[in-house]
Amino acid sequence: MPGSAAGQAPGAGLEALLGGVARGDHAAFEAVCACAGSAVFGVVRGVLRDPFQAQEVAQEVLLEVWRCASRFQPGRGSAMAWVTTIAHRRAIDRVRAEQRSAERQLRAVSHVVAYDEVAEAVEARLDRERVRRCLGSLTELQRESVTLAYYGGLTFREVAGLLGVPEGTVKTRMRDGLIRLRDCLGAE
Amino acid sequence: MRLRRPEPHTLAGAYAMDAVAGADRARFERHLARCQACALELRGLREATARLAGAVAADPPAGLIERAVAAATRTRQLPPVTGQAAARRTRRAGPAGGAGRAPVPGRARRALLPRLSLALAAALLAAAAASGVVALRAEHRLGQAELRDQAIAQVLNAPDAVMLTARVHSGGTVTVVMSRRDRSLVVTTAGLPPLTSARCYQLWLMGPGGDRSAGMLPAPHGGMTSPVIASGLAAGDWVGLTVEPEGGSPRPTSRPVLMLSLAA
Repeated sequence: MPGSAAGQAPGAGLEALLGGVARGDHAAFEAVCACAGSAVFGVVRGVLRDPFQAQEVAQEVLLEVWRCASRFQPGRGSAMAWVTTIAHRRAIDRVRAEQRSAERQLRAVSHVVAYDEVAEAVEARLDRERVRRCLGSLTELQRESVTLAYYGGLTFREVAGLLGVPEGTVKTRMRDGLIRLRDCLGAE
Repeated sequence: MRLRRPEPHTLAGAYAMDAVAGADRARFERHLARCQACALELRGLREATARLAGAVAADPPAGLIERAVAAATRTRQLPPVTGQAAARRTRRAGPAGGAGRAPVPGRARRALLPRLSLALAAALLAAAAASGVVALRAEHRLGQAELRDQAIAQVLNAPDAVMLTARVHSGGTVTVVMSRRDRSLVVTTAGLPPLTSARCYQLWLMGPGGDRSAGMLPAPHGGMTSPVIASGLAAGDWVGLTVEPEGGSPRPTSRPVLMLSLAA
């Protein structure tokens, strides 16, 4: 029965399921996909924008979860954080690989465009009230730094350039912003 | 230049969001390897980024998960890094799973299967263990599944095991791992066209000794069927696959969609 193990307890369940995946359990893998697939696809699409590329990369991410499940260490963070970290990193790697082959001037322009789009997309998609509220509790510079980096896929140097703020400031705003976000969202 | 390098610690936030690239990234990762406080902080920050990911969650398009699940059957998994990791996994199987169910560890598999395509053998074994997820939850089902897995593992581990893969002309592939010594073979399939509810795929050993049913293919899981083991292999046998009414037939009633020669 496909997915019979899925859907009951997304949080803690995901960790147990990853244990199954590490043992080569295909049904557990299917359940992991059902459980974390929307977060994976959402974050990848958020960064990449192009839905076709997003599909491709999201599939790669899920496969990497399958491949590397034995490397997940429950004591070192939640399963969801492990999976979404892989997803975000993969999406970013794809964006950067493409940027490297693009012209520098075009990059500058596309980043400006990206910012508007990101702001809009984030606005539209932040259906999780709590995350939205917590993002709202950050200072403007913290919020911009975090959303441009996480959803926009920019490096801290690029964010600094875009916002006309010293790099050191952006670095600390990103860190402070995430800490504040984490505290606001509370422990799982 | 070096004098003004700021405290690398402050990069943790940017790093948690993959906003550190190139040399910056490499430098921070070197620092991270030595800085426990950084590693701890990074963990906490990643829980926050996970929530940012969750906030934009979107249903994946149809077929994406199915493709990933199908691809997994063709993909070899990394073995655990350390003995510590192995201990952790045993512990997590815990009271529900019991320590008695010991899946063949990756390394052992590798050693025992010198002749096979390792990726495929691993996929086959993994599929053999797929019943495990159910078994972990319902221990009374464990015995039978384990016996079957053992028989399958024996074929896969046989010193004379050979693997054959064939494309089915109506779509999909059939993979056979055969041991003449054990007179047995293990069959898995991927991507066979789905059948209407009243029909099933049936496997056959076909040869000079007549056509013998080798069992029904189980319902596919993510496009792939878990391994079926067939014994009583005789010289000159072929593997056949036909579409039969539900429950199977005593002898083939339709033209085989696959005839695979087992001759060397």
